[in-house]
Amino acid sequence: MIKVIKTNNLITIVGHANSNVYGKDIVCASASSIIYTTINAIKRIDKNAIDVIDNDIMKINLLKDDEITNSLINNMIDLLRSLEKDYPKNIKVKEN
Amino acid sequence: MFYKLNIQRFARVKAQGSTKNNRDSAGRRLGAKLSDGQEATAGSIIYRQRGTKIYPGTNVGMGKDHTLFATIDGVVKYERLGKNKKKVSVYAK
Repeated sequence: MIKVIKTNNLITIVGHANSNVYGKDIVCASASSIIYTTINAIKRIDKNAIDVIDNDIMKINLLKDDEITNSLINNMIDLLRSLEKDYPKNIKVKEN
Repeated sequence: MFYKLNIQRFARVKAQGSTKNNRDSAGRRLGAKLSDGQEATAGSIIYRQRGTKIYPGTNVGMGKDHTLFATIDGVVKYERLGKNKKKVSVYAK
């Protein structure tokens, strides 16, 4: 299960969707697309707005509290939540 | 800085459950070919086995793969051999 945990200005994404074998995991594909689209969009607008660590665990550090960054991040969270509604066993979104 | 889109980024790496095993040989159809009280002709196979689960008794021969066969025409008889062994014999009618 992919776990997306948002705490203040840090978003941690960990785990595997496990909805199918590697290469056919549609939940993973959706989540990955949403996340990479968001971080690349923010980086294009302002490369200092966020810091991303993309190892086993992905960590997105929100360095700036501006409207555009917040809108894109909130949009990402909303999209991941809608994914969670359809695939509750494969992804979970938590905001502390 | 651009993060390459990997749409399987959060998928489990490598197909689950891909093992190198999953091979097995066909069953060897071992066991009794003639049961107690049945008639056997000379040369007919009575029991296929690995090792000597059952020993050859009267008028029964054993091949090199421990197969038991009748050496005369007669009736098959499974008997005890000592405390905890078995043997098979063929008695003429």
